[in-house]
Amino acid sequence: MSRNNRLRSKKRAESAANTFIYILLILISAIWLIPFIYLIFQAFRGESTGMVNYIFPRQWSLKNFVSLFTKTEFLQWFANTLIIALVVSVFQTIIVLMVSYTLSRMRFRGRRFLMNLILVLGMFPGFMSMIAVYFVLKLIGLTQNIVGLMLIYVGSSGMGYYIAKGYFDTIPRALDEAARIDGANRRTVFYQIILPMAKPIVIYTTLMAFMAPWGDYMFASLIAFGNTKSYNVAVGLYTFLDKEHIVNYFTRFCAGGVIIAIPITILFMLLQKYYVAGVTGGAVKG
Amino acid sequence: MANLSLKHVYKVYPNGTKAVSDFTMEIGDKEFIVFVGPSGCGKSTTLRMIAGLEDITAGEVSIGDLIVNDVEPKDRDIAMVFQNYALYPHMSVYENMAFGLKLRNLSNEEIHKRVLETAEVLGITDYLDRKPRAMSGGQRQRVALGRAIVRNPKVFLLDEPLSNLDAKLRTQMRSEISKLHQKLGTTFIYVTHDQTEAMTLGTRIVVMKDGYIQQIDTPRNLYNYPDNKFVAGFIGTPQMNFYDAALNRRGDTVEICFLNTDDKLKVPYENFLKVKPEYLSGKKEIILGIRAEKVICDPDYIKKHPEAVVSCTVSHTEELGDETLVYGDLAGKTDVVADTKTSVVFKVDSERGSEINAGDVVKLAFAFHSLHFFDKETDKSVSPRVPEVNAFDGTVENNVLKISGLEFRLPKALETADGAVSAEIPTESFTFTGDQKAACIERETILGNNLLHLESGGRVFFAKTDSDVKPGELKIGLDMKRISILKDSKILHKPLELKNVLYGSVNRKVVKKTVEENGKTRKKKSVEFSLAVANGEYQVPDEMLKRLVTGGGMGVFKKKLRFEFSPYAVRAGKAEGPITGSVEKTLDYGTERFAVVKVGDASVTAKTDAELSGDVRLGIDLNSLVVIDDKIDMIIA
Repeated sequence: MSRNNRLRSKKRAESAANTFIYILLILISAIWLIPFIYLIFQAFRGESTGMVNYIFPRQWSLKNFVSLFTKTEFLQWFANTLIIALVVSVFQTIIVLMVSYTLSRMRFRGRRFLMNLILVLGMFPGFMSMIAVYFVLKLIGLTQNIVGLMLIYVGSSGMGYYIAKGYFDTIPRALDEAARIDGANRRTVFYQIILPMAKPIVIYTTLMAFMAPWGDYMFASLIAFGNTKSYNVAVGLYTFLDKEHIVNYFTRFCAGGVIIAIPITILFMLLQKYYVAGVTGGAVKG
Repeated sequence: MANLSLKHVYKVYPNGTKAVSDFTMEIGDKEFIVFVGPSGCGKSTTLRMIAGLEDITAGEVSIGDLIVNDVEPKDRDIAMVFQNYALYPHMSVYENMAFGLKLRNLSNEEIHKRVLETAEVLGITDYLDRKPRAMSGGQRQRVALGRAIVRNPKVFLLDEPLSNLDAKLRTQMRSEISKLHQKLGTTFIYVTHDQTEAMTLGTRIVVMKDGYIQQIDTPRNLYNYPDNKFVAGFIGTPQMNFYDAALNRRGDTVEICFLNTDDKLKVPYENFLKVKPEYLSGKKEIILGIRAEKVICDPDYIKKHPEAVVSCTVSHTEELGDETLVYGDLAGKTDVVADTKTSVVFKVDSERGSEINAGDVVKLAFAFHSLHFFDKETDKSVSPRVPEVNAFDGTVENNVLKISGLEFRLPKALETADGAVSAEIPTESFTFTGDQKAACIERETILGNNLLHLESGGRVFFAKTDSDVKPGELKIGLDMKRISILKDSKILHKPLELKNVLYGSVNRKVVKKTVEENGKTRKKKSVEFSLAVANGEYQVPDEMLKRLVTGGGMGVFKKKLRFEFSPYAVRAGKAEGPITGSVEKTLDYGTERFAVVKVGDASVTAKTDAELSGDVRLGIDLNSLVVIDDKIDMIIA
């Protein structure tokens, strides 16, 4: 009897704890989701274009989306962002994977020093170099256009080798050695043996390389400085929030926010499986 | 199919760790060589150096006639099977096997034919479309073997291929690998830490420890004639029994005294003919080894050999089915859990085993034909299969050495006063010319050495020879340079020192020269290399410089070097070379004459034609120098 009682009280305590945890989680997620929900509802508001103090629109409409494309330079900004993100993701992925593989597999003089140096440099916030980078780009005439921006993003890609190196470290070296004995050179080993096995980390690296320029504001606003043709979406949309624009453009800003979120959401949903494998795969060995 | 040769191969890591030291071995075509030893003994590193996956610090590896030190793994025509199989997980079995062939640009038909043939041999035809992850350990290992075989390489390297398999599968795969070797007739080199695998597979086994080769021999010889205590203990299950002991020769018998118990065994001297004489005085401690199956518990045997009997208190037994392992202690210490210096393990048949209980005191006889003796300090066998020295008791009369019915005239260098002496004559120092005669009663070939059992004056002794001597009556002579003469255990004459040692370095110097070119004088810089040997200095020949830099890297210029050379590679005279010294004595062996020259603190024995004294100069043949990095004891050139 007493054993049954003990079991019952254990179950009761467990369900009470679970209830508490779930209520807490729902609260936290509600707080986290409110801005997104607000943004989506405001994007569909038809009755006015300025800021209001309620969430649900009184009149539902798509005109914010229509005017975003027809009456602003949003399409240009979207195209800029997409081009930058695609180019950067391709080059950054190639560079990151090559650097990571090299640091994982080859032993050369100064390897450890290089890894430590990159680690230390990575601790300084990126914006510290902004002014210097701006002047360098100005000297070679690459400010106010998206090529300069791409160069900045791709230039430092090698520094993000940690996770991919961690993943490569988990692939047994015996595979490289077996392939080398089978007749492969280093290039063949990398492309035919290691890369096919490292799909999750390739996808993870590409996604990360795509995401960073997709949502960047700081460097993009500095480099584009004043030239609306070379704005990316973040910089462009932010101009809608100026004092003189906010009354007419706030709902369009929200519509722009929704549109920019769509591709990335789809990408994540499709590649979620690989993304998780990539992050955790790299996490096993650092 | 090819021969493989490793000459003075070293692996030293940048932090100074020495993984492999002075690995020298010739591997013949179609041999199955097994490298065996405990973890960290350098066996896998050696294999990886052969494969080209690891750089060689010094030495030379050749496959066939080609030196492959700097040849890429893919161009060495070898195949390797790894411990964790190393199958490409994203490829099917077929693709795994075809990968190497595709990279060698073979036609698709040829690839298909070869893969199918190999799959047939290994019984994996049904799995060709599967990915490695859908296969069991044994099947994966077969695929890994298949991937190696399909290329038809000159040499197969296998790095602990069975370690990841369970015991049953391991036994099965072991016999499959053995059959495969017979079928393919290719050279196999196999690394394992499992002595059973080594014994069952290898035609020859290389036992390694701490980077050094301990012994290279056939499985049977390793078991019967271990060169040192490590090999004796490593090969064979259960491990050999070891006891501290001393050997004391009393005429025709030798008394073996156990140092940790009061036991004594009396063994006829004829069993000790190959034992080095200095160990029979009773003063030098040795280690006595005997295998479990040679400790005999049979009452009839014990009755016949009362002089070789000890008593043992049984601590516990292990039943193995057909036989029983009995553990005990010669000093009766059965309450100690750990092994003691007097522990004993022996085998009995299961019927006798069932009669033995813990606490029983049983009589045991040591089969004295199967005893092993090792030096306590060096662990080396003191009764090698090919003995080094024969010890004789004899006399000297008018400078004639008389031993066992043989008479030899002593040269001036060995002049000895009349009286009783003993002589130590190396087995290598017999010549088969001269006026003395002995009977050759047996001829053995051991590890390429011909060992003759000779008899004269009722005494058997041994001689090593390269020539094709047949049993029967032989002419006997002695190379007097090699023998020692003792009186009352004091050495009167030592053998000639065959290895001279001097220290020095190789130096690099930038020299500015004024050169005249097209009527103009210009200053030109050039680098000169010199070899400092003791107090002398040589110009380094290009060929030698190349060898020094290849073997020691650019760091060779900063190293303290040790030079070793024979007395024949150095000549003493008034103007022979750059090294100066003073003559200590000259040794006249009749046909040859040598000078012992003091150079700094070192003594150098040098060939000479003249009677020398006072200050002399020495000239060394640089081509015969062995150059060694003194700090890490590594042969550079």
